[in-house]
Amino acid sequence: MVLLRKEPKSEPTEKWEAQLRKGCLELAILACLWEQRLYGLEILRALEQNSNLVLAEGTVYPILARLKEDGLLQSEWVEADAGHPRKYYWLTAQGRQRVVSMALFWNGFSANLNLLLKPVLNGKGRA
Amino acid sequence: MNFMTSHPMIESYFDALATQLADLPAAKRDEVIRELRAHVADRLEQIAVPTTDDCRSVLAAMGTPVEIARQYRLELVLSRSAWKISPWSLLRTLFRWTLTGIQGYVIFIVAMIGYTVGMCLYVTALLKPLFPHNVGFFWSEQGVNLAHFPDPPLGTEMLGPYYIPFAVFFGFLWTLGTTLTIRYIIRRFGKLKQKVAGMAVSA
Repeated sequence: MVLLRKEPKSEPTEKWEAQLRKGCLELAILACLWEQRLYGLEILRALEQNSNLVLAEGTVYPILARLKEDGLLQSEWVEADAGHPRKYYWLTAQGRQRVVSMALFWNGFSANLNLLLKPVLNGKGRA
Repeated sequence: MNFMTSHPMIESYFDALATQLADLPAAKRDEVIRELRAHVADRLEQIAVPTTDDCRSVLAAMGTPVEIARQYRLELVLSRSAWKISPWSLLRTLFRWTLTGIQGYVIFIVAMIGYTVGMCLYVTALLKPLFPHNVGFFWSEQGVNLAHFPDPPLGTEMLGPYYIPFAVFFGFLWTLGTTLTIRYIIRRFGKLKQKVAGMAVSA
């Protein structure tokens, strides 16, 4: 997975980005599973297409394990017609409730933050 | 499982991961490894004729076994019961290492001594009410003696009936200390194995 960077970033910025990614990853994984059952690599592909949240592929699986422990996901090994079995994940009723409340919070949170960032992005008040 | 998914580089990667996850119950550890192996197989299946370089880049994209194990620890920290604390499980893990060389053998012996001392303290606590004159904290010039049969040990008994809570407390402390030490060594030893695996990957 390639993370494109337009310019070199300072260490504190990288740390902040890493924390932000980590915080958002759980919501992104739950959102990927909203419409269908997916196995690990399919979840990664969905994340790759729609975000740059994942830096190391292997780190998605521990989060899936925890979400399952928390009762938000359920999983099952499914034999493939060709190839090897794959572990599919889907949202439980509790997981669906959680992702809705997280999405609502995110919506309000990001809208407010975007308002706050508007002058910064428009270049106003530049020192 | 084709030639590439059983490539020595992949095998050493998952061996290192298994070692890193040594304190996870066997069933959970096997499940984790099975899932990550399926991921690697999926990635390699996307390549028409995977080479050793492809194996290397697929594993590099996964992250190191140390990092993955660290993530599992962080994520599963709320369900700590998932992590082994049972002396029996730890000893079984260590026993497997005794077969890998002198280092594993020494750690196993140290663990055995630690648990034996802990167990002796528990056993003497149980025996104290039955044999109050033979069991206790006997202090003499030769040192400390906890029990002797049929004659009482040399020296003076220092604790009397307080020996029971003393032995239970220190038995627990000794067992816990041994367990935590072994878990620490498992992680350190695991990192060592990871280094070896890393050398195999970069070779």
